[in-house]
Parts: sequence; C-alpha cells; structure tokens
Amino acid sequence: MKRNTIVLGIVFFILAIFAWVGWANWEYRKQASERLLASSAHGQLVPGQAAEGSEGVPVFNSPLKGKLAPDFTLEDLSGNKVSLANYKGKAVLINFWATWCGPCKIETPWLVELRNQYASKGFEILGVSTDDLDRDNPKTLAKDKAEIAKSAQQLGINYPVLIDGATLDKPYGGPDGLDAMPTSFFVDRNGKVVAAELGLTSKDDIEGNIKKALGE
Amino acid sequence: MELNKAAWVAAALALGIGGLFAHGQIPAGDAASRQVLKTAAVEYLYPEQVTVAAGKASDVTLHFRVAEGLHINSHTPKDEFLIPTTFSIPDGVGVRLEQASYPAGEDFTLPADPTTRLSVYTREFTIQARIVASPGNHLLEGKLHYQACNSNACMPPKTIPVAIDVIGK
Repeated sequence: MKRNTIVLGIVFFILAIFAWVGWANWEYRKQASERLLASSAHGQLVPGQAAEGSEGVPVFNSPLKGKLAPDFTLEDLSGNKVSLANYKGKAVLINFWATWCGPCKIETPWLVELRNQYASKGFEILGVSTDDLDRDNPKTLAKDKAEIAKSAQQLGINYPVLIDGATLDKPYGGPDGLDAMPTSFFVDRNGKVVAAELGLTSKDDIEGNIKKALGE
Repeated sequence: MELNKAAWVAAALALGIGGLFAHGQIPAGDAASRQVLKTAAVEYLYPEQVTVAAGKASDVTLHFRVAEGLHINSHTPKDEFLIPTTFSIPDGVGVRLEQASYPAGEDFTLPADPTTRLSVYTREFTIQARIVASPGNHLLEGKLHYQACNSNACMPPKTIPVAIDVIGK
C-alpha cells in the first residue's frame, strides 16, 4: 500500500514536471514568435501564397503608420535638393520605385493620372528611385542618372523624381531596409503616414489612400 | 495488486501526456512568423566539388533553384532596364571562367499586364560554366547576380556566392 502511494506520488510529480516543461516551452515559442513578427513588421516580399493577402499582394504592416514621416532631403534629376518638409500642408505620396521593377511600371501610369486628378487639392507624388548610384565614379554616376531619367521619361512621370533612395532604406524600411518595390507611403497634410502599400495593388486602392491622405 | 496496476497505468499515462507537452506545441503566431521569414530567392544546389583536368577547359553544370512563387530575369531579359542573371568567377582564384552558357528564359506575363512578356527563370535552372583550373585544390567562390520578383513586387538585385571545391589534376 505504502509502495503504491510512493509510485503514485512519483507519477504525479513527473506529470507536474512535464506539464511545467510543456507550458514553459509553449511560452518560449510564443514569445520568440512575437519577437520575430515584430522584427519583420517592416514588410517583406515573401515567396509563395501563404504570406500574401487575399489578392496576392504581400502583407505590409509598416511601423510608420500613424507616425510622422521621417524627413529627408534628396536630389532630383536636375541636381536640386528636395525635402519632404517643402511639402508641408500638402498630402504626399512617397513612391519608392526602380528602373528594374516591372510592377512599378504598371502602377506608374496610374500614379500620373491620380496626380493630375488630385494636384489641385494639394496633392503631390515624390517618386524616389532606389536604383544603385556609383558615387565614386562621376562617369558611371552620370550614366546611372541618365538611365533613371530615361526610364522616368518613358513612363511619362510628371512628378519630381528623386534619386539615391537607398539612403532612406532604414528610416522607411526598418532595420532590414526596403525589401521590395514598389513601396508607397501616404502622408497627410500634417506629415503623418496614414497608409502604406508594398507591391502592386490597384488604382482604386491607391486612390483610396490618396483620399485618406487628403482627409477626404 | 489492483492499485499497483492502476499506479503503473497512471505512470504510463503521465509519460504519454508529458511526452506530448515536452514535444512542444507550435502556437499560431509561430506558424505565421515562418511565413514572413526572409527567404533567399535563389539557392545554389550543386555540385559542391568537381575534379577537372588542370589547364584544360572543362564544362561544369551548375544547378540553382528559384524559390516557389518567385522568378528572376533570364540572362537575356526583354526590357533594357531589367537586370540579367549572370554568373562570374573573381580573378586570381586559380580558376578562370572561359564561358558561361545560360538557358533560354521562359515567357512570363504579370497578371496585371498580360501584354508584356518577360523572359525569366523559375524553379530549377542550370548554367553551363566552362572553366580552366590550374593544378591543385581551389575553394572557389563564384557569384550569381540576379534580380527577383513575384507577380506584385520586386526585390533589389542580389549577388549570392556559388561555392565549389575545384580540384585541378
């Protein structure tokens, strides 16, 4: 009888240890998972359907949403300095694109049309090129700029095109930088990011976010 | 005796249930986080080691895999602004790349623009590298330069190492 009691005691003790180990393991995995999700919240291009939204658009949870858009000063294609602060009081769409980006070429005509449609309401687009620039070699740099200008012209871009967008990699893309193009941030008249998009969405989605930025 | 049996049954149950707990559960968040893990768009598969005649041109077939759901431009993309896939070997490593032969790309159209045809590689593809190795063992680190996209977005151009142990005999 006494032996049975001891065996049962040991059994319950083992059971308690396993339960505790299981709970601790689950908690650890849960926390690790949350940390991982938080660190990847800047949005990434992920292969496969699993990480994509219902319409095949990569999920993008920018931590900048609801915050002031980081200010910047970049050169345009003519060498003029352009700052986000210059557009205070306007709704601004900061569109990161690249000459090598196919989906960017699909959305650019939409952006041109929407810019024409909403410019009178105080809306502007800044097309920030993320193409690599060889700053060490003036000849290559000139060629790089010419390529961007040629691409912008072919696409009919009628808004300012800024170069060297890679310098905004961390402020706008988080620790791992901007992982995919196109990426757009919609900034309201107070300089706050009200929406962000990663990847090709639709003209309607973009227009909806422009209206949000305009406060309509 | 009956209680003895019951104790052992309880012990077995405890071990079974404990085993289940100790195996660990994957919370829903963990599964979701895996989906947003950064995945390399292209992976070099093989060969890891080749033996070639020293000083003579030898063909080596390099195998690569493009991650599911992504494509990379072929060596001859159809648009001047698109970045071609290229393989190179740095100078001064004891192995010279005499020529690289690339497969033809497959036609691909983005769902949002069915009129534009791209030339891309998807899934597994090979590059035929004609190399000339000097005698000896060379831990070669070739480079594959590519630019990957899915149907909606493109990743910046990237260069990945292609590590091969080349033995020139």
